[in-house]
Amino acid sequence: MSQRILFNLLQVLVVLVFAPLVAGVLNRLKEIVQSKRGPSVFQPYRDLWKLFHKDEVVSEESSWIFRVTPYIAFVTPIFVTLLIPVLTSYPLFFAFMADMVGGGFVLALGGFFKALAAVDTANPYGPMGASRTRMVGFLAEPVFIIVFFTVAFVADSTIPYIVQKRWMSPPANFLEPSHVLLMAAFVMLILAEAGRIPVDSPSGHFELAMIDESKALEYSGKSAALMKWGGQMKLFVLLCIFLNVLVTPWGLAEKLVLGEVLLAIPLVLFKILIFVLVLVVIESSLAKLRLFRISEFLGSAFITSVAAMIMRLFAL
Amino acid sequence: MNVILLLALPLAAAVLSCLPWRRVASCVTLASSLAVLVASVQLAGQVVSTGPVVVIPKWIAVDGLSVLVLLLIAFVGATAAFFSWGYMSANSHEPRRLRLYYANYNLFIFSMLAIPVSMEPTLVWIVVELTTVCSALLVCFENTREALEAAWKYVVLSLMGAAVALLGFLVLFAAMQAAGGGTYTWDGLVAAAPTMPAVLLQTAFVLILVGLGTKVGLVPMHTWLPDAHSQAPSPVCALLSGVETTAVLYVILRLFPVLTAAPAAHAEVWAMVFGLVSVAVAAFLLLRVRDYKRMFAFSTVEHMGIILLAAGLGTSSAHYGALYQALNHTLTKSFCFFAAGATMLAVGTREIASVRGLIRTSPAAGASLLIGGLAIAGAPPFAVFLSEFSIFKAGLAGGRYLAMGLLGLFVAVGFFGIMLHVNRMVFGQSEAGETPTLRSRLPASCVATLCVAALFVIVLGLYLPEPLHQLLLLGGTALER
Amino acid sequence: MNDPQTTLSVLDSLNTLAGGLFLLTAFGIVTTRQAKATLTLFITQSLLLAASAFLLGLRHGSWHLYGVALVNVIAKPVLIPWILRRTVHEEVYTRREIDQVLNIPMSLLIALALAILAYFLTVPLQRAVAVEFRGSNVPIGFAGLFLGAYTLAVRREAVPLLIGLLAMENGAFFAGISLARTLPLLVELAIATDGLIIVFITAVLIRAVHQHIGTTEVGSLAQLKEQVAEEAPEEAVR
Repeated sequence: MSQRILFNLLQVLVVLVFAPLVAGVLNRLKEIVQSKRGPSVFQPYRDLWKLFHKDEVVSEESSWIFRVTPYIAFVTPIFVTLLIPVLTSYPLFFAFMADMVGGGFVLALGGFFKALAAVDTANPYGPMGASRTRMVGFLAEPVFIIVFFTVAFVADSTIPYIVQKRWMSPPANFLEPSHVLLMAAFVMLILAEAGRIPVDSPSGHFELAMIDESKALEYSGKSAALMKWGGQMKLFVLLCIFLNVLVTPWGLAEKLVLGEVLLAIPLVLFKILIFVLVLVVIESSLAKLRLFRISEFLGSAFITSVAAMIMRLFAL
Repeated sequence: MNVILLLALPLAAAVLSCLPWRRVASCVTLASSLAVLVASVQLAGQVVSTGPVVVIPKWIAVDGLSVLVLLLIAFVGATAAFFSWGYMSANSHEPRRLRLYYANYNLFIFSMLAIPVSMEPTLVWIVVELTTVCSALLVCFENTREALEAAWKYVVLSLMGAAVALLGFLVLFAAMQAAGGGTYTWDGLVAAAPTMPAVLLQTAFVLILVGLGTKVGLVPMHTWLPDAHSQAPSPVCALLSGVETTAVLYVILRLFPVLTAAPAAHAEVWAMVFGLVSVAVAAFLLLRVRDYKRMFAFSTVEHMGIILLAAGLGTSSAHYGALYQALNHTLTKSFCFFAAGATMLAVGTREIASVRGLIRTSPAAGASLLIGGLAIAGAPPFAVFLSEFSIFKAGLAGGRYLAMGLLGLFVAVGFFGIMLHVNRMVFGQSEAGETPTLRSRLPASCVATLCVAALFVIVLGLYLPEPLHQLLLLGGTALER
Repeated sequence: MNDPQTTLSVLDSLNTLAGGLFLLTAFGIVTTRQAKATLTLFITQSLLLAASAFLLGLRHGSWHLYGVALVNVIAKPVLIPWILRRTVHEEVYTRREIDQVLNIPMSLLIALALAILAYFLTVPLQRAVAVEFRGSNVPIGFAGLFLGAYTLAVRREAVPLLIGLLAMENGAFFAGISLARTLPLLVELAIATDGLIIVFITAVLIRAVHQHIGTTEVGSLAQLKEQVAEEAPEEAVR
């Protein structure tokens, strides 16, 4: 039992430590693809260190929401980490606190506070970004729900650990059309939720075109560090859910042995690296969509997930 | 032997039409279509006396129903070729375009001739698609904006219908396999019909009816028909309206004996509903036309509806009536389009509103338009009246009072519509000055064709020659089985 | 892993996967804006059709289906784009449709409804055939047919309309390879040749439209129609 608690905490530690690394690798690869040298892969760590040692400036007009949000944005991905399979394929101590729907709610809670905080400061770009994020969010919600529904329908459960078993055992299950279509829909969702191209440009500096970034514009010092880190952890968590549950359910620790769990860490990082490569290809070959075309993008994600559901419902 | 000749001649003529000398294309076309006519008459005699002629077993054969359709195609092909001679030269196209026209014409005739001789349903499907393809460039021959729009609509809607019909034929094949296999020909289908699963047969029938019905011009898939059949040059319109729709309707009719074995399929109900709706919509739209060729095109929709309705009635006298109506419609409709072509040559415009008092400005065109209008509307003493009368008789004898009552009403509305327009065009007083006259003398070949075609229309309105009667009976029995 | 039951179920899964992707490409053809993208989607769809034919041939040991797969791989992805590029001017492919008849999310929803309708319609069909003929091919084929017809209704540019036509035929075939397995190969070849001729003629027509009218938005050509009621009084006055 204590081992399960230990492994759960180890999971959280892994996410905390390696999330900025993933962000750093992503940035570096994107720059390399564009024939530039790019920053070092450890640059996000240096940025976080720098920000933690800076002073904070907080507007007098802002309320408690503004002050609380960085902590919430930092804690919610950690909370979700406790629930999903990151290193092990068997449920850990806190795994039954919430299922996938609950995890989705928790992540949405973080997003909700971020949006509120953006409005709180009366900076003109903040509410603009917040309203756009809400638009993308409400279009992405049906896709999330359908994905969860189909997954639950297929695997008879919404706990990620149980769902993951289903795609592992008979190999034919992996090739099920509902599975493949779900993967496609989920990739589109990740692009929308994490604010990557083609939905939003994560490295853009033009405030009028920002969707996700502008919510964190007002923060400085420690709060900015927490928001950044929280954002990186959110991407990491989404990738873990995607890879460890849907795409490659293998490579996780099977037994309650510390050695296996430690071995799972580089395997998970390797899987994430492969996906980061795919993400870099997607990001470098597409252009950012016009704002009102995002509804079409998410519409196609919706269609894909409903097609997955149809194919499953008609027992094919 | 005759069958091979029938198919090879138009192909050869198509190739020869590309030769660069002046009159070669039209002469070759005329010669080949006359030869095809002779061959088909001979073939008809052979089939009536000795039974079906088989060329390639399971693929190409000719039986009673198909030889009737062959005869019609050959006849209209010949008369239209003759009419083209005068019509196309009067319109003074450049020689290269004329060669293209005749080559396409021959290919079109070939593809249409191949429909009745094919016994395997998927082969028939391929040939029906070929007819669309070969006639597409003929429809847009004039290269005006309207002609191109009409050709586009024609191609897209016909091919859409063809894709639906393809699925229908594949489901039919599956039905045949489920019934225990057998040869996939019309006869084989009739033999396997009793053991086919009804659901598959019904689905296949609906798909084929909707898909091929698009080519026939049944409502609501008819939207391309008035455009395509009015924008094409008149001899081509005669071919399209007169025979092509009939040939594709023949394919649908071939399914009826298969479906009598599956009473749950309600084939008759579908046929009667589609038929009546087509007649109704066509009759009412006839009142609104602005263009006399469109008027004749709507009349084609109406008559296709009547033939389908008659086939759906189910009794043998109704089947006889349907085939009789097909025969008369082909002869009369081609004559109507020849008359429309003559009017076009005489007046230069297609609008009804600008044509008045045609009988005075161009007697030949006026007289033929009048005869054509009366004939196609179903007035005695012309051919269509007799066949419509026989359909009414068969329907009332079978107890279908409501259907026949509605049919009578719609036919009357159509009659009124056509006569309204024709009357105004032929006899009316022109309000604003003179009717524009392009030429007062029509080309000799056009007048000759008009006379020959009118002769047939009038003669068949008086009595039905015995050989034709035998042919119709033979065709009717093919529908029965 | 090597026992026949697993192999069969893996083949079935792969076939169903090909079907699912086929359905996706049909949706894509309805909504993609660029003409070139619709052509690419059509090529993908034909390759999926060939893959499904190949898998069904493996599963049921039918040589006809291998032939179908081969014909599809050669005719559609290779020859049709070649014919189109030769006949239609290069500029036509760079067209994008800014607007369709309905806006795109609405189109997608209607397309989804059509796909579900296709599934419901084919349930009695599936029950009527023998067990080994059942599978996902028939519903997806019907859905492909309906979606192709829907493409023809909502799109306006010429090349996507042509692709919609070809997609309808693909759908009919997709259902057909499962239903009509022993259709003679000669017929398949003839149908494929027919398809090529159709593409050729339609491309010639598109070229003529482009030359004489100047645009390839054929869906908005609507000159030929009957008189509207309000115009009749003007006619009488004249």
